[in-house]
Amino acid sequence: MSHVAITQTTDVRGPGHTPDAAIDVVDLVKQFGHNRALNGVTFQVARGTVFGVIGPNGAGKTTIMRALLDIIRPSGGQATVLGTPSRNAGPQLRRRIGYLPGELILEGRTSGRRLLAHYADISGPVPAGHVQELAERLGLDLDRPVRKLSKGNKQKLGIVQAFMHRPELLVLDEPTSGLDPLMQQEFLKMIREARDRGQTVFLSSHVISEIQQAADEVAILRDGRIVTINSVEELRSTAVRHLRLVASGVRPTDLAALLGGLEGVTTLNCSLTPTNDAEAVATLSGEIASFVQAISVLQLRDLVLEEPDLEESVLKLYSTPALVPQ
Amino acid sequence: MSIVQDRALNVRRAPLPLFGKVFTDSWRGLVGWGIGLAAAAFLYLPIYPSMRGASGMQALIDQLPPELIKTLNYDQIGTGAGYAQATLFGLLGFVLLTIAATGWGAAALGGDEESGRLELTLAHAVTRVQVAVARFCAIAVKILALSALLFAVVLLLNDSAELQIEVGNLLGTSLLFGGVSLLTASVALLGGALTGRRIGGIASGAGVAVLGYVFNALGNQSASLHWLYNLSPYYWAFGDSPLSSGANVTTIVTFYAISLVLAAFAALALRQRDIGA
Repeated sequence: MSHVAITQTTDVRGPGHTPDAAIDVVDLVKQFGHNRALNGVTFQVARGTVFGVIGPNGAGKTTIMRALLDIIRPSGGQATVLGTPSRNAGPQLRRRIGYLPGELILEGRTSGRRLLAHYADISGPVPAGHVQELAERLGLDLDRPVRKLSKGNKQKLGIVQAFMHRPELLVLDEPTSGLDPLMQQEFLKMIREARDRGQTVFLSSHVISEIQQAADEVAILRDGRIVTINSVEELRSTAVRHLRLVASGVRPTDLAALLGGLEGVTTLNCSLTPTNDAEAVATLSGEIASFVQAISVLQLRDLVLEEPDLEESVLKLYSTPALVPQ
Repeated sequence: MSIVQDRALNVRRAPLPLFGKVFTDSWRGLVGWGIGLAAAAFLYLPIYPSMRGASGMQALIDQLPPELIKTLNYDQIGTGAGYAQATLFGLLGFVLLTIAATGWGAAALGGDEESGRLELTLAHAVTRVQVAVARFCAIAVKILALSALLFAVVLLLNDSAELQIEVGNLLGTSLLFGGVSLLTASVALLGGALTGRRIGGIASGAGVAVLGYVFNALGNQSASLHWLYNLSPYYWAFGDSPLSSGANVTTIVTFYAISLVLAAFAALALRQRDIGA
């Protein structure tokens, strides 16, 4: 289902600059004293897509989001949100945005239901019954005092708060933090449904595995700069896979010669197993076709080719020198 | 497209949500301060007849150092109005409402920002000025409510405690009492808005209130220090003994006007800053 959605959105996205982008950030700079939190960040998020930003702590993810909400003011550059410059934007713009802060601090003495009613009074209208529906989906008890909720349940309350008025744009800072794996899946489903309804989602995470299922595009942020912007498919194609195979009737040195010459095979290590078979362990990047062709001559006893490890390729991008963003 | 359709499913929303929220959050606190203020009145005022009659009390006061008597404003303690001023409006009541006003003012913006909650409120469909104005108005209503309570309690005890305070003077003094407290709250609000921290509000609000009290007490000591009266909101409010000689309307209006101006500065200060940075 998600594959269908991805092809739809690539059609919508179009090449280069999109005048009707949900978010259009140009050369955004933010200086806090001597610390430059954002160092010329430029990107666009097309309407109806899910855009993820990944980066280590302190990379500037939260700063970008706060600037979009006009909670902080950029030192330079411009951010346009839903066609309106975010700086000093009026309440009408924020009514169209749902925001989940990275450090979610909620008033503790009231119940979840009352707290949500308050935000609905400010930013509504909220469709009748929608809050209940979202709370039931996430398994959240709205009648407990907020201060007695666990971190995960507070996070759910924050998610409901962001989603409840069906905003055109969702800005979610580390939305899955504190959620158990089951709830993470439910949340990612909510993201995909939001996109299918035409809502735009801009979310951040410090690990790609949390959002790779939901995001159409991923920007990698490091030290206040965007290192690269890729679709998840593109990242997947450049990502490395770990492989392990066992073949009989071949010596480890021959196996090493066969595999070592293939493009994309690195960290190859061939050895003899206790059963006198040859075992190869390696990482593989890029297309797998030539690899599959090469091993077709072998008498395979075992083959493990893992899912591409996006985490590893993202970490590699963190450590390589920053590229000039397109 | 479905976003547009959902707009039709409007549900009834509370009017003035930001203003009302202050009361749903803190009505217990407000009741507590009210009880404290009323208790102070019920503690001091009913014993006035016995104190006035007891010559021992006057003898005790005569033995106190004159500077202390002036500091505590006990020099007029022989009349009902002077007694109520010295003990309630000028001392315990003043301290109680100053603490409440400073706390409310500091928490409204500075404390809310420091805790991280203001960020989420501002991410919703409000302007910063709206938030500042709504919270200032809520503080003003709370302070006026407590002043009205004190007015009512003193009026209730006026006859039985033989205070002989004129109702008009009591009303004017209650308004001054509220005015000087609102001024303190506004300074705390501004301090919080400028610094983004609760302590910034507490320090500025409490600073103005305490210095005002100290300058008044020092001014009481000698004619050469009378110029300190000019710097003392406490003196502006109570220096002319409004409970016995009547309150000056201009003074009352001035207190509320200055508070409004300070609140406006607080709103503008909040508007300029990065929140939670």
